[in-house]
Amino acid sequence: MAAMATARYLIGVDVGGTFTDILCLDTVSQEIKSAKVPSLPGSQWKGVLNALGSLGIDGAEVRAFVHGTTIATNALLEQKGAKTALLTTEGFRDTLEIGRTRRLIGGLFDLKFVRPKPLVPRDLRFEVPERTAADGTVLRSIEGYDFDTLARTLAAQGVESVAICFINAYLNGAPERSAGDRLRARLGAVPVCESTSVVNERGEFERFSTAVLNAYLTPVVRTYLKTLAAELEGHGLAAPVNIMGSNGGAMTLAQAADFAAGTFLSGPVGGVGGSVRICAMAGVADCITFDMGGTSTDVALIHALTPRISHANQIESYPLQVPQLDIHTIGAGGGSIAWVQKDGTLEVGPRSAGALPGPACYQRGGTLPTISDANLILGRLPTTRTLAGGLQLSKPRAEEAFRGLARELGASEDIVGLADGVIRIATAKMAGAVREVSVNRGFDPRDFALLGFGGAGPMHVFLVAEELAIPHVIVPRFPGHLSALGQLLADQRHDRVLAWGGRLGTLDPAVFKQRCRAMLDEGAKDLARDGFEPARQAHNFTLDMRYAGQSYTLTIGCDPATATWDDLRAAFGARHKQTFGYADAENDAEIVNIRLVSLGLIDKPTLEFAPEGKGDPLIERRPVWFGDGWTDCPVFDRAKLQIGDVLTGPMILEEAGGTSVVPPGWRITVLASGTLDCRAGAVG
Amino acid sequence: MQDLVRLELIRESLIAVVNEMRANVIHSSYAPIIYEGHDFSCALMAADGRQVAQGLADHPIHIFAVPYSTREVVKAFRGDIHAGDLFLHNDPYTGGTHLNDVLLLHPVFHEGALALFAAIRCHWNDVGGMTPGSLSGRVNEIIQEGIRIPPTRIASKGVMNQAFLDLLFNNMRGRTERLGDFNGMIGTGRKAGEHLARLFQRFGGKGLLDGIEELILRAERQLRARIAECPDGDYFAEGYVESDGTNPDPLVIRLKLTVAGDRIIADFTGTSPQTNGPTNCGPALALNAVGTIVKSFLDPRTPINHGSFNPIEVIAPVGSFINARDPAPCGGMAEVKFTIDSVVAAAMGQIVPEMTVGDLKGGANHVHVAGPRAAGGTFIHYEWPAGGTGASNGVDGSNAVRSYNEGDFNSIQSVETVESQFPLRVDRCEIREGSCGDGMYRGGFGLRRAVRVLGDRAMLSVLSEKNVIPPYGVAGGRNGAANRFVVVRDGKIVEPSTMPGKVSGFMLGKNDVVLEETAGGGGYGDPLERAPERVAADVREGYLSRVLAERRYGVVVDANGTIDKAATARGRRAIAASRVHVAVAVANEEIEDGPRRQFRVSAALARRLGVTDRTLIELSTGRAAPVRAWARIGGGDGETVQVGPSSLRLLAAAPGDRVELRVVRSAPEM
Repeated sequence: MAAMATARYLIGVDVGGTFTDILCLDTVSQEIKSAKVPSLPGSQWKGVLNALGSLGIDGAEVRAFVHGTTIATNALLEQKGAKTALLTTEGFRDTLEIGRTRRLIGGLFDLKFVRPKPLVPRDLRFEVPERTAADGTVLRSIEGYDFDTLARTLAAQGVESVAICFINAYLNGAPERSAGDRLRARLGAVPVCESTSVVNERGEFERFSTAVLNAYLTPVVRTYLKTLAAELEGHGLAAPVNIMGSNGGAMTLAQAADFAAGTFLSGPVGGVGGSVRICAMAGVADCITFDMGGTSTDVALIHALTPRISHANQIESYPLQVPQLDIHTIGAGGGSIAWVQKDGTLEVGPRSAGALPGPACYQRGGTLPTISDANLILGRLPTTRTLAGGLQLSKPRAEEAFRGLARELGASEDIVGLADGVIRIATAKMAGAVREVSVNRGFDPRDFALLGFGGAGPMHVFLVAEELAIPHVIVPRFPGHLSALGQLLADQRHDRVLAWGGRLGTLDPAVFKQRCRAMLDEGAKDLARDGFEPARQAHNFTLDMRYAGQSYTLTIGCDPATATWDDLRAAFGARHKQTFGYADAENDAEIVNIRLVSLGLIDKPTLEFAPEGKGDPLIERRPVWFGDGWTDCPVFDRAKLQIGDVLTGPMILEEAGGTSVVPPGWRITVLASGTLDCRAGAVG
Repeated sequence: MQDLVRLELIRESLIAVVNEMRANVIHSSYAPIIYEGHDFSCALMAADGRQVAQGLADHPIHIFAVPYSTREVVKAFRGDIHAGDLFLHNDPYTGGTHLNDVLLLHPVFHEGALALFAAIRCHWNDVGGMTPGSLSGRVNEIIQEGIRIPPTRIASKGVMNQAFLDLLFNNMRGRTERLGDFNGMIGTGRKAGEHLARLFQRFGGKGLLDGIEELILRAERQLRARIAECPDGDYFAEGYVESDGTNPDPLVIRLKLTVAGDRIIADFTGTSPQTNGPTNCGPALALNAVGTIVKSFLDPRTPINHGSFNPIEVIAPVGSFINARDPAPCGGMAEVKFTIDSVVAAAMGQIVPEMTVGDLKGGANHVHVAGPRAAGGTFIHYEWPAGGTGASNGVDGSNAVRSYNEGDFNSIQSVETVESQFPLRVDRCEIREGSCGDGMYRGGFGLRRAVRVLGDRAMLSVLSEKNVIPPYGVAGGRNGAANRFVVVRDGKIVEPSTMPGKVSGFMLGKNDVVLEETAGGGGYGDPLERAPERVAADVREGYLSRVLAERRYGVVVDANGTIDKAATARGRRAIAASRVHVAVAVANEEIEDGPRRQFRVSAALARRLGVTDRTLIELSTGRAAPVRAWARIGGGDGETVQVGPSSLRLLAAAPGDRVELRVVRSAPEM
């Protein structure tokens, strides 16, 4: 295994709006190499190659290469997807447009509200005389339909991608597949996506919307992946390239090429996966992730070391019915701009100064007051030394921007108070995001640790914790790189769902087992194709269940090999009681969907980081604003903290890619992994 | 400075409380109409009943009525409200909406003094009465719509009034579900109380309450500043509820809206008396409607609280159908409220021309299809399909979507869900082509939904407005198509009622199809000024046929979608020439037929327009909304139309002014 011995590097690449962040973990020495290069809009792959080049390592020594990409998200936001056609059941050409008649994005009191257009214009939505009944039988068959003429029309219109979405296809996918096969045979390279191949669940609007999103983005994603793979191979990279999926698992290139709609959260999921590992090593089972960057903050809830999955999602105004980690994003980051509302009150974000022109203190042309400027004014960022990365911050510029804001507010020029206010407002918003993923999902945030990472996470995580009375904060080593690190931990993953079920009392357990067996076989086949032998496969079934007549479902774990209906009834009843406060003894439970997650297990790096040398970690002391006054505060070099060190705030901990601002009263312990375990002192 | 920050923190914190309340209701309720349909709202009220905060998802029709209810509770129990008390209310005559919307008030105390109320208003699926679901078009008095709960203390210092609750729940269907929803509301109030206690600790009692006052003051100041920018004066508008379901005559809403400095006074004197059908509402909804529309026109973005209502005064005659009293049924309060919305929007359009907006589909469009299941028992399928929204300057309306004056709920269920649960098949659910109100900017298109009965029999009930009098266009724009609910039997249209839109228990047989066609939004501006490229785009996407594009817009498009410019210029000239412009002549007395306004049209003019006695016509000055009336043939000449004095005020015109006279077509696409 000489070849394996040299394949020592695991590489994660996370492409953000501004920077492409690459991280290389040497599995032999546990050393981390990292680089940040500008992202190149329009040719993301070049940024990836530049980043790889800047590491100066031999491509042959790379064991795994995992990539979090924003290609699908960007194409959607910029409306730059493929010219897409829809083939649908007669009478349902407008399902995409009508939906369930909700506005889906705001619009209350806004009499000039304009509903966003569907991704397929009406003249590219074609009706087919076909119909499947609610019992799955075919009422009208597509057999006689003239696909030749249709294919010619699609070609003449320059259609680049096709979605096929039939009513009741979740009960019988054969008509969609048959139409798909006929079109593929006539359209050559144009991708054709059947709705049930993406999501096999009831609810035509959500399913059609998901299939159309997938079709719309497939050509863009395919082109990108093809170019990237060819270029990486050209640079001597022998390892397979994997793409992060929104479900937190890794996808092969082939998988991603067919499932563009599964990559919207490709970027932020890495941080959640990394958080699970950080928590496991810190002995914490429940945490809320707080990933704050330059323009936005992502939060997610991890319960019993498992991130919550959400099946009914929405991107922009489009429903997206694929399993995604339940990540909530708000537009508040280090670059968020503070401004004055119409009624004269102060507001922060969602507009951001980004990297260019950037916060006023960056001296790159920005003049508007941002969160970073506020932090500088409050002494939380250094003014006498450059930031890691060489950026020199200008306090006079930050103060100038805040004086402008004070004038606009008609307030006194107490810019320190104003800066503190801006931070407090941003903190309230971020606390709102944490409530969204906890309180609004039925969890009390005080039962969770708050895990701060991302470029600006460690600077604000303590304030957010205090706002929510969360007594426990965790800050991992290399907080700015946790997303990329998390990518290195992702198992290969395939999700399946089968809309099958009914009242337990009417279902035949033998048929249930048989359906599950068939799903399992397909999952195993997929993983075998990805190169995972049976010993490195894990298959987990869950069921979407409810009481007959309800429409909300709960997810119940299940082993089909041993499960009995009585077990399921009991498990569901208990879960229902826990969630809604009662179990209904008089009503039978029913199965709605069978879900299967198939994992290809990879060897995971340990993510333990030893101190980088001894010596006094104290860099300087400087006045820092906490609460309502200045405090003489020590600033430490985090890399020099030793395992087992215990410190008490206030303090500032600086490291490459992140600054932790620890308010008075917090007690910090350095864990063996290098992670900081932080406990609130007396109520502050 | 710190005060401003503190203020923003208080605002964010209060909204967080409401959002937490919403989540709690969804998680703990038993009825799909709440956890799936989201037919509920939450809010915080001041100790005197003023509104403090609501969430973004909450429905104005619920929330803006809560202050009235709360004030009634405070009035009834003044000085006698204690920690651990709870109050229940649904009485329309003292601030409720309809009986199904039940309000729970949870008083919150700080240092022994009443400080705030947490308010939860949920639609209960049944509150008793003569029919399952409690809402019926056939009622004649409120007793038939269920139990009326005046301001009632249901818990005293932590002890529930079990006798009252037993009586209450023994008079409702689906006791388990009702109790479940009730308990969910109680739990939500308790949670809100805990959350507010933390805020009191954090901001201090005085700090929080002063902050709330400051926020209310700022919202009021903001709206007053916007009103002050509006020209002072009296503005008139009117509209009709087509029928109360029993009587064939419409009910009229008359409005004089006065802008006086930084105040708005909405005077509804002249509105029809209350009726014995379900289309009435209590005293809370007129202010609710005026508040919703004034805010939308003048200050849509500022988070809402009671300050937004302070500059508004409403005069609604007691005993009119918009301020009804016992025993008027109020099940159709939404139909009334949305008609008031239309009337207020017509007046506001005169005041703020840049915001003037085409009219909407009207009431809720309640459609019930119910019948026996093959396996025994009954099914009830209920939906309330949305229509197209109105156009305004620079903006086409949107298609088949909830409008700006409504909370963002689903209005139709998934076809696959309907078919899997009921013996029904949805043959089609599509855009109703050609249904838009034409204009330089056109209204949105309504939808068409065809629901086929698969069992041997079923029953259809519909409660809908604007089936006869369609949504108006503005600034010279045309009306949208009216709502239409009919049955297709053996390929032929069958009218299920003599009163369009008011169907009660119409018998359906196997393979009958219920055809639901919802209204298009009203247009904005002259259709002849619509950019031909926009018309051609609608033709290319099939929203408008080539024939209609030529007939209604004068735009000639060939089979490839290319605009024939010369033919278009000719077509537009021809349409312009065919329009009827007349001078307004004023009669000495009003010209009316009961509640119906009339215009006197000469026989010659009538022939030219193709109208007969009692045809619905409208006069348009090219500004704001047109004035509708029914034709009375005879009198005058071919160059004038004779109107009563009040019509002149509605038109905001002078005698001799030239206006366009046109027929109101309820189905412009045909």
